[in-house]
Amino acid sequence: MNNSIWIVFAVFFPILCGVAVLLLPVFRERIKLLRATGTVLVVTAVLALLVVCGKEQELLLLQFGENLKLYFHVDGLGRLYAVLVSLVWVLAGIFSFEYMKHEQEEKRYFGFYLIVYGVLLALAFAGNMITFYVFYEIMTLTSLPLVLHTRTRDALMAGMKYLFYSLCGAYMVLLGIYFMNQYAATLDFTAGGSLDMARVSGHEGVLLVIAFFMILGFGVKAGMFPMHAWLPTAHPVAPAPASAVLSGLIVKAGVIGVIRTVYYVIGPEFIRGTWVQTVWLILTLTTVFMGSMLAYRERLLKKRLAYSTVSQASYILFGLALLQPQAMTGSLLHIVFHAIIKSCLFLSAGAIIYRTGKTRVDELTGIGKQMPATIWCYTFASLALVGIPPASGFISKWYLATGSLESGISVFSWLGPVVLLVSALLTAGYLLPITIKGFLPGAGYDYKSLKKLEPAKTMTIPLAILAALAVLLGVIPNPLTAYISGIVSAVL
Amino acid sequence: MAFVQNVPFFSIMISMFSGIVSSVLPGKAAKWLNTAAITVIGVMSACLLGYMIDVGGSYTFMMGHFPAPWGNEIRAGALEAAMALAFCVVMLLSMLGGRKKLDDEVEKSKHNIYYILTDLLLSSLLALIYTNDLFTAYVFVEINTISACGLIMIRQNGRTIEAAVRYMIMSLLGSGLLLMGICMLYDLTGHLLMSNIKEQVASIMETGTYRIPLSITIGLITVGLSIKSALFPFHSWLPDAYGYSTVSSAAMLSSLVSKGYIFLLIKIFYRVIGFDIICESKIINVLFVFGLCGMIFGSVSAIMEKDVRRMIAFSSVAQIGYIYMGFGLGTTEGVVASIFHILAHSATKSLLFISAIGLTDVSAGSRSFFALTGAGYRNKIAGVGFTVGSLSMVGIPVFAGFVSKILFAEAAVLHPNIKMLPTLIVLAISTILNAIYFMKTVIRIYVPEKKSVIAEKGYTTVTMSRQKLYTVTIILFVLLNMTLGMMSEPILHIIQTGLSNFA
Amino acid sequence: MSKYWILAAILLPVIGGALTPLLPFKKRSQMMIYLEFLMLATSAIVLSLVAHGPMEIFEVIYFVRGLSISFKIDGMTMVFASLVAVLWPLAMLYSFEYMEHEGHEKIFFMFYSMTYGVTLGIAFASDMLSMYFFYELLTLVTVPLVMHTLKREAILASRKYLYYSLGGAAFALVGLVFLLVYGDSLEFVMGGVLNLEKIGDKTNTLLLVYLLAFMGFGVKAAIWPLSSWLPQAGVAPTPVTALLHAVAVVKAGVFAIIRLTYYSFGTEFLRGTWVQVVVMGFAMFSIVYGCSRAVKETHIKRRLAYSTVSNLSYIIFGATIMTPWGMTGALAHMVCHAFMKICSFLCAGAFMHQTGKSYIYEMNGMGRRMPVVFGCFTVSALGLMGVPGLAGFISKWNLAGAAVDSGNVQAYFGIGCLLISALLTAIYMMSIVIRAFFPGKEFDYSTIATVKDPTWKMCLPLLVFAAGVIVLGLFSSPLIAFFRDVAAGIY
Repeated sequence: MNNSIWIVFAVFFPILCGVAVLLLPVFRERIKLLRATGTVLVVTAVLALLVVCGKEQELLLLQFGENLKLYFHVDGLGRLYAVLVSLVWVLAGIFSFEYMKHEQEEKRYFGFYLIVYGVLLALAFAGNMITFYVFYEIMTLTSLPLVLHTRTRDALMAGMKYLFYSLCGAYMVLLGIYFMNQYAATLDFTAGGSLDMARVSGHEGVLLVIAFFMILGFGVKAGMFPMHAWLPTAHPVAPAPASAVLSGLIVKAGVIGVIRTVYYVIGPEFIRGTWVQTVWLILTLTTVFMGSMLAYRERLLKKRLAYSTVSQASYILFGLALLQPQAMTGSLLHIVFHAIIKSCLFLSAGAIIYRTGKTRVDELTGIGKQMPATIWCYTFASLALVGIPPASGFISKWYLATGSLESGISVFSWLGPVVLLVSALLTAGYLLPITIKGFLPGAGYDYKSLKKLEPAKTMTIPLAILAALAVLLGVIPNPLTAYISGIVSAVL
Repeated sequence: MAFVQNVPFFSIMISMFSGIVSSVLPGKAAKWLNTAAITVIGVMSACLLGYMIDVGGSYTFMMGHFPAPWGNEIRAGALEAAMALAFCVVMLLSMLGGRKKLDDEVEKSKHNIYYILTDLLLSSLLALIYTNDLFTAYVFVEINTISACGLIMIRQNGRTIEAAVRYMIMSLLGSGLLLMGICMLYDLTGHLLMSNIKEQVASIMETGTYRIPLSITIGLITVGLSIKSALFPFHSWLPDAYGYSTVSSAAMLSSLVSKGYIFLLIKIFYRVIGFDIICESKIINVLFVFGLCGMIFGSVSAIMEKDVRRMIAFSSVAQIGYIYMGFGLGTTEGVVASIFHILAHSATKSLLFISAIGLTDVSAGSRSFFALTGAGYRNKIAGVGFTVGSLSMVGIPVFAGFVSKILFAEAAVLHPNIKMLPTLIVLAISTILNAIYFMKTVIRIYVPEKKSVIAEKGYTTVTMSRQKLYTVTIILFVLLNMTLGMMSEPILHIIQTGLSNFA
Repeated sequence: MSKYWILAAILLPVIGGALTPLLPFKKRSQMMIYLEFLMLATSAIVLSLVAHGPMEIFEVIYFVRGLSISFKIDGMTMVFASLVAVLWPLAMLYSFEYMEHEGHEKIFFMFYSMTYGVTLGIAFASDMLSMYFFYELLTLVTVPLVMHTLKREAILASRKYLYYSLGGAAFALVGLVFLLVYGDSLEFVMGGVLNLEKIGDKTNTLLLVYLLAFMGFGVKAAIWPLSSWLPQAGVAPTPVTALLHAVAVVKAGVFAIIRLTYYSFGTEFLRGTWVQVVVMGFAMFSIVYGCSRAVKETHIKRRLAYSTVSNLSYIIFGATIMTPWGMTGALAHMVCHAFMKICSFLCAGAFMHQTGKSYIYEMNGMGRRMPVVFGCFTVSALGLMGVPGLAGFISKWNLAGAAVDSGNVQAYFGIGCLLISALLTAIYMMSIVIRAFFPGKEFDYSTIATVKDPTWKMCLPLLVFAAGVIVLGLFSSPLIAFFRDVAAGIY
């Protein structure tokens, strides 16, 4: 049996199972639903790992037009993302078993949850721009029901906003693909880019504009200024586990898109030193700073975390925009770390909401006494995000900063680290007060009303795993760093 | 000289004498005589046409074998024969179609007068077609005017009398101008026979003397005949005259009388003055502009009109505008298109008038546009006739109007200078305007009226079996229209050769 | 196959349709069987003609001076005729149930099937005059369909439709006459028939005339500013709006524009001139204009009609690129849009038929009660948005590819218009889908408890069209290759 067929299983097994969950009335029963979902999650994760661990492989699934191929190719970046997706997806899935008890229509939630899992795996394994775009758009559409899930007016409006921003971005990308189809030798992902310079000559100006549009387009998903407004609206209205995967992984799909575009299709050399790079750098630094400031001012916990995502995703984009190996290593590291950390934070927020119903930061005084395990996890993740050594965030930021200093791009080489540092301070400023107030509620706190509200094991265990990973990956970063350097050296 | 060549003379005579004889006949006999006369003349013209196509060229016929300047000459060719045939056919159908209505509208005692006038009208039309003598032409123009006036006035109520008086005044003004023109021409050239005048005019042009008097003469004749054929802006008499007279009169007036004058004008242009000289004079540009204005103005007036008969009458103003626009182009193609449109329009407009009367009759005689709601269901054949007429007017292929539209457009495209684009654009706009008022009416007559309204307003329903003659007439009209639309090739051929014989 | 089969294909539905009110049907079902048989027989003839390949000119009626009504089969014919032949029997099936309560259905079916014949006439026409003839006829036979309800608004709409169409045809006629004078013949020949020697220094006049004729045919293709009749004509019964105002009539306009551009004036003559800039500009503006109006519209059928305005201009945009690839894209969108729009219109019709409602704010929660209808609607909505894997993506891919390939900077901006329009499409289509499936937390399903999916007669066409959208999206390669051959003049 052909090995590459496993890709198809990994991608389509969860999608088909998800559709089955949606359509079959059997799954109205909660137990059956959860059992099925759990099984599918685990089986898919195993399938994905099989693909990841196998040798480099490719598969042409369907040719639906000239140059329009559904083509899968497992490479370094794809493996990294697939593992990340599987890890977070399974953990957040387990978390939602308990969490979704207090939301309605779990059947629909789990159905789409499974479908999106398959779609994200397909994104990871996509071997050309077309396939990537196909699943990128499907991802937008299938993750929409997760945002809409509560069906409140806010959720509906947020869902629409999410949809339109995403599509706007997708169409910018599509514009680029139209042009790449003409000017690139192939749309298959090729390390270092595949522009056909013979065809390009004379049209450089147009292609730079197009490249900019593509970056901006994928940047929408990654919450890059000026198209970030949907993110703080859409992420918080979803159920907490959905917010976790939206912020942790779907945002990263945009980032992966940028990487694929810049490093695998257009090629970093084409952009280096042009106005595109300059503008891109300005946009990312603006977003980093602005996201942190807005998070600092925000009172709703989940919204604060969403703003934090805006800021953090642009850390990654900043590193990519530098077009420098060190910085890119930092970016890829930060993809992994941020995904783990932010899911952990969102899940903690979810746990708090689930047990106490409190959503505002100022209501959380003394929460550490009520839910110590949750808040400890939250604290570790926060510290990692701020970048306190030896937690993971420190490593990625270190690479980003050194990369920036070495890049030799006049102003940005020092401005970048400064902004990152300021933003890190702000991160500390908006994340840690919850821990501090939570454990040290102050003299006026009424200890008698204290109740133990620690959530069930299905919620705390995923939290603990994620928090542990957030710290441990910082302590033992070398295997990961080495692996990522391998990816980077191929393209830069 | 072949026997058939006597046809022009005899056809004029037959129609004239049948008129004279009718004066002593009772109405019913006059009716049969009239029908027979028209039919016979039509058949004769057809024979002549066949003969002329076979022989080619044209011939002059000296009455009583006296040569000019004493005798009176007639000239005939394929084109003349064709026009005569067409006029007879349209006249016959118009008379048939309006026969029933005539009983309602005209007193029994006046029926024979009506037929006398019709006979005279036919004779004068034939004379205008065939004559080779300007003065004879003038005489028959007057006879034509008088009989037309009578036809308008025969239905005696206030509006028709007013209309007839107005028509009379305008017509006489036109005849007066024509007479002055003919006088001046006689003064300049010393001849009244067309061919002789032409030679003299050519020599006048060569020597360069009397240029201005000649221009004035052309102007007088042209304006005189344009007034009589209701070219914009001389059309004010038309809507009332066509709108209020009896239906056969309206049909004949619109499709024949004005066309007779136009045909005379063509003859004068080609046979008397010479087409080149006409083209050089500025008069042609005036006709062109008036033609274009008429096309737009007539249609706009028709759109605003709420009386269906007057609406059709205003449409005639627009169609006359087309014809003059064709002259105004100053090319042979333009004139060919105009002559074809004379035929197409007479076949269509009389159909419209005849079917409109069928529609108004079933709407309690009300001619208001709104009373026509659903009339197409109450009188089915009239509805069909009106629809076909409208489609032809709008220029839908298969019907006559399409061919003339395409001929006009082609003439415009072939025009060497500035007149091309204005013509095309006005043509297109006027088509849209035509579509607006004709299609509005067609839709109106096919929108069913509520039962209660029908009962209240006293609308009636007529089946085809109860109006056999009318039905047959409409069907023949429709067939005529389609013949012109689908078999225009030989007709065009006749027109072209006829024009080249004129020169 | 004998050439007379073409006549049979055109006359069968015309005559058969005209007989409908005269035949003494005992039961409604007999009429239904008769009509459906008529449609199927015609379609069978058409499809076998098309499968048989190109056919030489065949003259039927001779008018004057080389003007005649004649037919032939070439690439464009094959595309349009088979498109129509596939859609018509299904739409007929749908309308049997839809028209049950609309009144005087015999008249309706008479004109509905006559329109089929006339549309085929347009497809088979071998020269400008024959096409013009059927084009005018199409206007006339569809007017009664628009004014079917005989309400005041229907009459106003049909009048407007009539004036616009006949007026447009008048300008098209101007183009026809110029072709007659400055071309070698009126026949449709790939690459055009203009005779450059005859034209001499009149190039600019001819370009102006092309513009006039383009706008003239553009009326039926609902190009801005001549589009306002289309949304208004939405008062017609849904089978009419769906088939005629999304496919047959409006596509006839587009078809005529392609004929005019590629087969009469010729792209060599037009490409790179000011007139290309102008017509492409109109197309681009219409694309955005239609979508923006659709977003504002709250009546479901009018919204879809505005969407049609926009999508028709996609096709025109493709045609105005004036390269073979551009024509490929145009043809692709012609076919793809036909499936998507007819599907969405029929869904809207099913909704209106089952609930008696027609505004978008009344569609809350319908997704759960009418899963088949709204499932199909979702497919068509996603297709219109251009989601990959569905039909719309393929045609846009080709349109954009052609635009990039042409190297025409204006066309680059045209791609921008396409994408802006795609986004607006997402807004106006997805807002319906979301409303239908996610009606808001407070929504009370018991208010629409009695609503359910219609019977198979309505559902079957929906499902077929929705499946068509998917199949076209996934397995378009042979079709696109065929279009490419057509555009290259091979057929």
